[in-house]
Amino acid sequence: MAELTYREAVAAGIAQEMERDDCVVFLGEDVAAAGGVFKTTVGLLEKFGPKRVRDCPISEQAIIGAAMGAAMTGLRPIAEIMFSDFLAVCWDMVANEIAKTRYMTNGQIALPLVIRTANGGGSRFGAQHSQAVENWAMAVPGLKVVAPAFPADVKGLLAAAVRDPDPVLFFEQKSLYAMKGEVPDGEHVDKLGTAKVLRQGKDCTIVALALMVHRALGAAEILEKEHGISCTVVDVRSLVPLDTKTILGEVVKTGRLVTVEENPRLCGWGAEIASIVADECFWDLDGPIVRITTPHVPLPSADLLEDNTIPSVDRIVREIREKID
Amino acid sequence: MPQLGETVAEGTVTKWHKKVGDAIKADEALFDVETDKVSTEVPAPVAGVVAEILVQEGATAKVGTRLAVIREAGGQAARPAVSVAAPATAPTPSVAAATAGADARSRLSPVVSRLLAEHGLDARAIAGTGRDGRITREDVLAHVAQRGGAQSSAPAQSAVPAAASGAETAPLNTIRKRTAEHMAKSWATVPHVLQAVEADFSRVDAARRAGGEQWKQREGFALTYLPFIASAAAAALVKFPRLNSSFAGDHLVLHRRVNLGIAVDLNFEGLMVPVLKDAAGMALPRVARAVHDLASRARAGKLRPDDMTECTYTISNNGAFGTLLTAAIITPPQVAVLSTDAVRKRAVVIEGGQGDTVAVRPVGMLAQSFDHRAVDGAYSAAFLNEVKTMLETRDWQRELQG
Repeated sequence: MAELTYREAVAAGIAQEMERDDCVVFLGEDVAAAGGVFKTTVGLLEKFGPKRVRDCPISEQAIIGAAMGAAMTGLRPIAEIMFSDFLAVCWDMVANEIAKTRYMTNGQIALPLVIRTANGGGSRFGAQHSQAVENWAMAVPGLKVVAPAFPADVKGLLAAAVRDPDPVLFFEQKSLYAMKGEVPDGEHVDKLGTAKVLRQGKDCTIVALALMVHRALGAAEILEKEHGISCTVVDVRSLVPLDTKTILGEVVKTGRLVTVEENPRLCGWGAEIASIVADECFWDLDGPIVRITTPHVPLPSADLLEDNTIPSVDRIVREIREKID
Repeated sequence: MPQLGETVAEGTVTKWHKKVGDAIKADEALFDVETDKVSTEVPAPVAGVVAEILVQEGATAKVGTRLAVIREAGGQAARPAVSVAAPATAPTPSVAAATAGADARSRLSPVVSRLLAEHGLDARAIAGTGRDGRITREDVLAHVAQRGGAQSSAPAQSAVPAAASGAETAPLNTIRKRTAEHMAKSWATVPHVLQAVEADFSRVDAARRAGGEQWKQREGFALTYLPFIASAAAAALVKFPRLNSSFAGDHLVLHRRVNLGIAVDLNFEGLMVPVLKDAAGMALPRVARAVHDLASRARAGKLRPDDMTECTYTISNNGAFGTLLTAAIITPPQVAVLSTDAVRKRAVVIEGGQGDTVAVRPVGMLAQSFDHRAVDGAYSAAFLNEVKTMLETRDWQRELQG
């Protein structure tokens, strides 16, 4: 085990896959010579050369179009969109072309590509550079959607995404880049579509994603120590495919579901999970499902305002205390 | 109305010690109340003047109901919420809490309703520890655990002693587990009554003797008593629709279709009940073929999900092993089940104009368990008599030819 930061785990994951397979290439804005604006891809240009690690012009459409063409013609590209907000600039290619190619060609053309992007808030970047948009991607049939919370998952799930035969959107939470964690030595490949139970409790099951996993764990600790409420915490990790088996199993054990979501409330991913839980384990529920989300507003850049908008440890503790008896 | 004990939902005001306009001191007796459990005097929570009395003597009110309003001495506004306080013997925090408590107790979460139903419990028997007295899942489970195995099927499992040395354990397969669950639930919740009549199968036997061999050659399986009984029962159910119904708490759902469940033993490996749909009016040969088809597919594990649904009445056939009488268990929400047992030759007294004679006749028991919530004994007996009469009088030989 080595201790890596979340950002180092990104580079480690890409490097592992580029070493393994010559078909894996990497492209994006300022990803090569500068090592990424978030320093997530430092050292890759030196290691793999300018043919496989490319800086692109400031055009999301150029990056995604090139990645799609490369995937169609036999490569396994990893494309970086600097801020997930900018997916909107190239969304036609992502949602209409990349997501639908396998279907439209009757399976003749698969697109084994990964779109990595820095997602979410907490870094005072304002309304156009801080959005958590994983629910956009979840809403498009044909895309797989992954959002890791820990360095080990960054490396393992990124490797799994590269090896997947279909397009995967890989959401890195930008406020987690400095976070450190143990990452297994040697080759590390995880499995898409698997959630992880990080903590077992008996009173309520908190389901969270990415940055919210850490806040849910912090809240669970306080709830247990100070308020005698013991919580299970499930890290969803992958929205599509979704590990409903683990989620339903953990909800049945406690009879209560709380989702903690960074995406804005309307049609957030937790709404889908709430719907599945209501459908499939209604008779095991011991109370209403609770969703804790960012409200349906543009994110402010001022620190105090942003902290009041995205679910915090305090807010999770407060809402669970209010709603779980 | 204060909460006088955890399981009390209402109380009757037996006497007001004050009338409207009277001054009252704090802790002075305000009224007397009587519940299932206690009669007690309730003191005033605050000093003031009795401004309103909302529930008259002799009236019964739910816990949390506002009974009176005391205006504080010299006060301007009425203090409606703090109308009464709990007596010292059974303290509750406030009337407001008791009101909320009554609501919280009557609103059960899905898992709590399910557990109450599974264990045959009444919510009123359980103390709620959740917010405002809500009954939580933990409360039900704790109640069940505390109550022990004596009254409940579920805890009974834990009361089974560990296997003695030399004994084997036989794990239950899925069918067994589900059967156990369903039977225990039916037995615990449905008041069963068993009734039986003897039927003379002479005419049925005559038809089987006359056409049985030919039938077997043509159809490839033997003609048993079951199709005759199913045919008669289906026709009788049309005349007795309350036995072809579902019990739904405060009403019966009378089914238009007669869908007969035919219990099939899977060679001692469990029991399946495939359903013969729309059996009423079906010709005897079709009934015979359909029953045979369902039973064969049940034993071969080839039933479709659709074959098991919409049953309105069940027939359980235990005659193959020579049984005399079987008290079958009803499958709720159905309200009855018919058991047919062995048909054996017996010496029967025939009453005739020239005196009684003894004859040898094939006789079998038709036994029905019925849900006494749904129907009474006379109705069930009339139905059984109808089935018996049909078996004894219909022209089965002609019906067999279709």
